[in-house]
Amino acid sequence: MSRLVRAIPIIVLAYVVYIVFSGSVSTYDLVLGFVVALLSGYLTSNLLVSDVRKALNIRRFIWLIIYGIYYLTIAEFKAHSDVIRRILHPRMPINPGIVRTPYNVVNDYSIVAIANSITNTPGTVVVHLDEGKKIYYVHWIYVKAPDPKTTYDNIVKDFERYVKKIFE
Amino acid sequence: MKKDMIVAVCLAIVIVIMSYIATLGGGLGPLFNGVRPLTIIYLNTTLNIHNPNFTAMSPEAVTAIVWDYRGLDTLFETAVFYLAIIGSVAIYRGIDEKLRISEGFGLSKIVKVVTKLLIPMNIAIATSIALHGHLTPGGGFQAGAAMAVIPMLLIIAFSRYFLLDIRLSRGLALALRSVGLLGIALTVFIPVVIGLVNGLNAYIMQNQAKVNAPVSLPAFVGSSLISGSLIMYNVSEFLAVTFGFTLLFILLSIEEGLVKEQMRGEGVEH
Repeated sequence: MSRLVRAIPIIVLAYVVYIVFSGSVSTYDLVLGFVVALLSGYLTSNLLVSDVRKALNIRRFIWLIIYGIYYLTIAEFKAHSDVIRRILHPRMPINPGIVRTPYNVVNDYSIVAIANSITNTPGTVVVHLDEGKKIYYVHWIYVKAPDPKTTYDNIVKDFERYVKKIFE
Repeated sequence: MKKDMIVAVCLAIVIVIMSYIATLGGGLGPLFNGVRPLTIIYLNTTLNIHNPNFTAMSPEAVTAIVWDYRGLDTLFETAVFYLAIIGSVAIYRGIDEKLRISEGFGLSKIVKVVTKLLIPMNIAIATSIALHGHLTPGGGFQAGAAMAVIPMLLIIAFSRYFLLDIRLSRGLALALRSVGLLGIALTVFIPVVIGLVNGLNAYIMQNQAKVNAPVSLPAFVGSSLISGSLIMYNVSEFLAVTFGFTLLFILLSIEEGLVKEQMRGEGVEH
């Protein structure tokens, strides 16, 4: 039973994907889609969900939406404008390099969410992850300084603030 | 350099001429001069509730043709595909895939978590393709190929030992593949059994009623179209292809060293 309860967020996800992909809300799809969602949720719940209360927490979900809006507007705009400026600048001021960036989260989803947020914004790419030392290796288009504080403040801090509220 | 240019220009000219002949020049025959007679036959018979003795009851003409009009052909195609898989199983017979010669670290946590998140969505999409095989393009084989992406991704992102950890072994894959094949085999004989019970004439692989064989599998459940045997074939084929491919991926990912070691061990014993 607990496995099915833990599967609830996955069932919702799989059901939405099934209905959207099928592009139909006929009885046939609503019924079979639910069966399929139930099955895929049951099969994958042990892999994906360890704490179902976190996954169903409405406050975390609201933070996820806020983060989504922040990320897609402010964070992306800042990163894009910075890279566009460097491309269009006559002297092309780049100083590329790979830097170590510490992070302070423990949850798998948090680590991945921050890493993918970094990679998806132009100018920074996570190339390696050291879980033992809690360090991302990030390729940075303009290395201001390689010390942990500078890299953390410039690359990880903004994302981590939100991701902590969502996944930690 | 100059030669390359000449070759490239010649190729471009050939392509332009070919496409001209194929389209504007009428090289494909009457394709562009209206609907061909064969097409009219299919359009009139794939889904036609007013002509119950001559229809496959499926709006998806390809599935109707593949599993109804020429169902036996598909049946033996399926048999050929599974014989190939049986061949691989035979080659690897006696090899214990559960032995571990290394730890199997896989890729980084980032890849692993994203891969894991894809699984439920992949299941939903692949199953949707299978369940709509009689309605929209796609079908059992395509759905199975989409589903088999999951074990492939897991082997690459996690290592093949991960499949053992989630108890997706060679034996389970073989069993579920056989369930799928059994589904196809049973569906082949359902109309004959119905015919025998009711004392009616019926053919193997029959879907809808024919003039001299009035046995029909249900085309509708409630108001939902399920196209009689087509949905059963698609779902069975989906299961068989998914786990057929899974079985192949498991076999192909067994370490060469492990296989050689076990084969040598066998040689010494005999």
